[in-house]
Amino acid sequence: MFEARFTEASLLKKILDAIKDLVQDANFECNESGVALQAMDNAHVSLVSLLLRGEGFDLYRVDKPESLGINLNSMSKIMRCAGNNDSVTMDKVESADTVRFLFESPSADRMSEFHLKLMDIDSETLEIPEAMYHAEVELPSAELRRIVADLVTMGDSVRVSVSKEGVRFTVKGDEGSGSVILRQSTGVDKPEDAIHVLMNEPVEQSFALKYLNLFCKAAPLSARVQIKLSRDAPLLVNYAMSNVGHLAFYLAPKIGDEEDEQ
Amino acid sequence: MDRDSPEVEDYEEVSVPEECELAEYDDAPAEAPLEGGGVEWRAGTSDRLTVEALRGTFGRPPVPSGFRMGQEALLFNQTACDYVVERGEEGHESAVIRVYGVTGEGHSVLCRVHGFLPYFYVAAPADWDESVLESFREALESTMAKFAGDERHGAADAVVGVSLVERRSVLYYRPEAEGGKFVRIAVRTPAQLRQAANLLRDGHVMRMPFELYDSTIDHVLRFMIDKDMVGCSWVELPAGSYTPLPDAALLSNTQIAVEVSWEWLTSHAPTKEWLRSAPLRILSLDIECAGRKGVFPEPDKDSVIQIACHVSVYGGSAALHRAVFTLNTCAMIPGVHVYSFDDEAELLQAFRNFCVAVDPDILTGYNIVNFDLPYLLNRAAHLRASRFPFLGRVRLARTQMRKTKMSSSAFGTHDSMVFSIEGRVVMDMMQVIIREYKLRSYSLNSVASEFLDEQKEDVHYSIISDLQAGNEHTRRRLAVYCLKDAYLPQRLMEKLLALTNYTELARVTGVPLDWLLSRGHMVKVVSLLHRKATRVGLLVPDLPRKQGDSGGGGDSGPQYEGATVIEPKKGFYRMPIATLDFASLYPSIMMAHNLCYSTLVRESDVKRLRPEDYVRSPLGHCFVRPTVRKGILSVILEELLQSRKVAKRDMAAATEPFLKEVLNGRQMALKISANAVYGFTGASTGKLPCMEISASVTAFGRQMIELTKNAVESMYPGAEVVYGDTDSVMVKFGDDIRLERVMALGAEAAAALTRRFPPPVKLEFEKAYFPYLLISKKRYAGLLWTRPEQHDKMDCKGIESVRRDNCRLVANVVSAVLRKLLVDQDVDGAIEFVKRVVSELLQNKIDLSLLVVSKTLTRDVEKYEAKQAHVFLVEKLRKRDRGSAPGLGDRVPYVIIKGATKDEKAYMRAEDPIYVLENGTPIDAQYYLENMLRKPLERIFSAVMKRPEQLFSGAHTRSIHVTAPRAGSGITKFAKFRLQCVGCRAAINEAELARLGLTGTALCAHCRQREPEWYRKTLHQAVALEKQYNALWTQCQACMGSCVQDVLCSNGDCPIFYRRRKVQKDITEAYATLARFSDAW
Repeated sequence: MFEARFTEASLLKKILDAIKDLVQDANFECNESGVALQAMDNAHVSLVSLLLRGEGFDLYRVDKPESLGINLNSMSKIMRCAGNNDSVTMDKVESADTVRFLFESPSADRMSEFHLKLMDIDSETLEIPEAMYHAEVELPSAELRRIVADLVTMGDSVRVSVSKEGVRFTVKGDEGSGSVILRQSTGVDKPEDAIHVLMNEPVEQSFALKYLNLFCKAAPLSARVQIKLSRDAPLLVNYAMSNVGHLAFYLAPKIGDEEDEQ
Repeated sequence: MDRDSPEVEDYEEVSVPEECELAEYDDAPAEAPLEGGGVEWRAGTSDRLTVEALRGTFGRPPVPSGFRMGQEALLFNQTACDYVVERGEEGHESAVIRVYGVTGEGHSVLCRVHGFLPYFYVAAPADWDESVLESFREALESTMAKFAGDERHGAADAVVGVSLVERRSVLYYRPEAEGGKFVRIAVRTPAQLRQAANLLRDGHVMRMPFELYDSTIDHVLRFMIDKDMVGCSWVELPAGSYTPLPDAALLSNTQIAVEVSWEWLTSHAPTKEWLRSAPLRILSLDIECAGRKGVFPEPDKDSVIQIACHVSVYGGSAALHRAVFTLNTCAMIPGVHVYSFDDEAELLQAFRNFCVAVDPDILTGYNIVNFDLPYLLNRAAHLRASRFPFLGRVRLARTQMRKTKMSSSAFGTHDSMVFSIEGRVVMDMMQVIIREYKLRSYSLNSVASEFLDEQKEDVHYSIISDLQAGNEHTRRRLAVYCLKDAYLPQRLMEKLLALTNYTELARVTGVPLDWLLSRGHMVKVVSLLHRKATRVGLLVPDLPRKQGDSGGGGDSGPQYEGATVIEPKKGFYRMPIATLDFASLYPSIMMAHNLCYSTLVRESDVKRLRPEDYVRSPLGHCFVRPTVRKGILSVILEELLQSRKVAKRDMAAATEPFLKEVLNGRQMALKISANAVYGFTGASTGKLPCMEISASVTAFGRQMIELTKNAVESMYPGAEVVYGDTDSVMVKFGDDIRLERVMALGAEAAAALTRRFPPPVKLEFEKAYFPYLLISKKRYAGLLWTRPEQHDKMDCKGIESVRRDNCRLVANVVSAVLRKLLVDQDVDGAIEFVKRVVSELLQNKIDLSLLVVSKTLTRDVEKYEAKQAHVFLVEKLRKRDRGSAPGLGDRVPYVIIKGATKDEKAYMRAEDPIYVLENGTPIDAQYYLENMLRKPLERIFSAVMKRPEQLFSGAHTRSIHVTAPRAGSGITKFAKFRLQCVGCRAAINEAELARLGLTGTALCAHCRQREPEWYRKTLHQAVALEKQYNALWTQCQACMGSCVQDVLCSNGDCPIFYRRRKVQKDITEAYATLARFSDAW
């Protein structure tokens, strides 16, 4: 038996919106500590890692670890039937081949129930070894989304460089080039707008904007986003969800020829 | 096609003094120091490989000394004919016909035929009589001289004979003006004929234009027609009628060379004892060139490094001789003569001498016409190997080649090379197969696997250079490969009975053998028409040829309505369906209604005929009845079909397999020819198009199909015509009528209906389909029964997609489904089968080789306008590694992988199958489902189930496999794969295992108690994989014919190749897994 309840459907909706363009089918690994999902996009350039801790749920119960294979598009269709403030209960009895979604309105006068057929997804699990990053930047997620949205119109890849100056995003395209620089700011008036740049070593790497743009769809999940980078290592874009868990994206840097092509 | 075609691109002439050419043989050593089997000829000794020396080993059986040339009759099987214009002693030019062939004992013959003059006719004005002729002749001659601008050159007395004759034109029946006056004009050479004809046509002679008749016929064909000689016939020169050619040895490379006057030569009709063939010699060859990486070999840069030759005798399957000529040393090969050279020019020369010594009648190979032969000739020219291009049977005739463009409605437009190799027929098996079969691919690999059911080793040309650069053993390796490529075309020729069938076609239609490959369908009918017309005193008018409007390629003259198709009543019929066929529909219509050029009545003449003397076709064209005049097309068709009946009867009676094959080839040739007659009348760009005939034929056809349908349905209440096309209707007599009964009803209906049609139209019942799956127009499948005890075969029309851009999986699944539906009649089983395949595809369990699509890169990547998958892939591969990327002319195999984002088009997602195998790149299973499998399968299943789309959705599609590449680019380079439990696939937590004191990482803590079982399973898997690998490896070794050397093959068309790579990778993985078990194991 597996059972988990969210107070608000909106969180689950936002998570799905953030990852369904990158990943079509994935296993939700459910065990005592929580629900985890990990998957690569088709081109194996990025990795999505979602963790929802058990404590973050209204109710959470796992008798035996379960792996729920789900087509994210189908799940997203079902989730669209839930009101943003509805509570969501997902449950599955052992050996069932469906998972049930139960939506209840806050006033408890409307209840709806959907069953999603499960898939058997045979995939391997990956992990990105935790490492010391050369630089870490924390900024408002809306800010990152804006930068990426602006730059993606200019070119395919962005060069991210962190120096004492701050963090700079540079794009070059057929029509021209552009860059945005963010400096350290404490955000005296509005702490949520603060920009923290922590640099152990200057670092500069190129990334495909196409993917960054997809990652930024997670912005509604969290007001703040962390990006971490090291030379010759994947970029980490992390959206922390207070008390619940996190949605992290890893993106392989463009190297050598790939960069020159741009 | 014309000898004086404007796009002649003559092979660059290398000037050679003639003495040099003749001197070649003077220093021939008297002894022939060669012995059979495994002889290696050391480099530098090639000057001893003269024709004479080589004849000792490879030559034809010697002519017995007892043969008294000229005093006994000379009988030979002619294989080729040509003519040459020579200047005689008296200063006149004349065209000498040369007939080449082989005697029953296998001696080669060149027969020069003198005295046959080219001639043609013009319509004479009504008031002409004998008295005008001399002035006409003078006028013609002087005009010719004036236009030739050179009176000395024989034009002065070019016109040898002018006579007034009574003939008729083959076109139109004219009620009163029967018989007309024509002038027969004989000249000395075909060129003069052309000139005279053009001048007469254009009104330059006597200031009036003349209508031309019989003027465009080829001189050789004219000769053959007048001598009643057909292609590949036996020719006899009576004793005393011919003389040995003086200086024979200097003029010809044949064993017997004679001269004869044309009246004496007789040709035997190919029946009874003259059905057989002489022991023709077939030389199949293949060359290898030193390629540079990424570039297709070019004759001015890349040398010819090997030439392999396989010599056989027609009718005998064993090799007569095998030889290979190599540049640089080569180790011995048992049963093969190996000749090695340091100098490439010497190698080429030795091959040329070999070719002349073997003296083959047929030269074959695979794509030799457009690759091997031009390459050799161009290479020889580049190396200034001036004595090389003399491959024919006439000693001083230089082998020439030129480009031609052949346009034919049946074969499309092709650029091709044409060679003049006197007396030898070039029969390129690639051209034969392209003409006769529709295949996915025409590479030698796929053709061999299609017809010989064996895979062929394919050594990539980049490897060829490495082998050549190695030692004598690597070169031997290459030689063995090259020999196999020379052997395969010969085997294909044998297996497909190509020579047998073409010989019979030449005999039936009367054209020379080599024309069958170098020209279109029309020439056969031209030959038949002229042969018949000449015999009955009809002349064929030479209408100005309609040129296809340049640019407007689709405009092919007046269109007329084609055959009718009865709307199919789609469905899966589980009861027997009888098929009523009109036997030879179009020919029999033409015979029944006497449709012919010579019976067509001009509308203005119709009123002068009695109504009972003509028929009006459904389209309103009038043709006289046979009682008035029998059309010559009817006569031709009658004879063809009568001969076919005889051939079929003889075939049934024949006991000797070879004779049976010959007769079968003949009856097919007769059928093809009979059907070609209709096409000839309808070809608007042809020699004598006549839409009145062809349109009437199809109109009668449509009427007859309609009539049949209505008659059957009214004769048998409850019967229903479910489908009908061109010449057949499919009848369902009822829902539960047994097969025997249906067959009886079918035969009865056919007989009853035949009586309603004018003879020789015949409706036949030959087969029933049971069950019958009718999908749409021209698409159906069924089990075919000709007798009620046992079905004959599964018959599919228009279903098995031969489209090349399909992967093998489609054909495999389609044929398995049809087998289940039709043979097992198991609809549920078929559905289950498809679901299983779909499921396996989603789980990545389908053999990759089944998913490979391959296309040839036919032009430079930049020249492709439309984005195509294989072109895109080549660009990608060039970026990866320029050297190994496919080049022009290479086949590019690819599979479609998943895209990074949704908007990547399918063509951008093509990937090299090897790369996919090695990197574990995920295949786009959805693409294969939607774009490959879905349409053909839904089409089939739409007849048996209501919602065929269910095949592609549902529970079976919910189990998938997501591959993660082990190596390569992207995120995986940085990621660590978490080990999974061999038992339950749960992630292995190494720290946890260590804490529990467990060694090995194969199993999670839960599965530990079953460790022995899992170990055994894993070990079994590894062993099974090894066995599989060994089997595959053995197969590849067998294919390359050696078990001590590395397999070098990279044949992208071969499923074994991919499987070998896949298993190789799986083994590595299996052993890695085994190593994860704890030390105890």
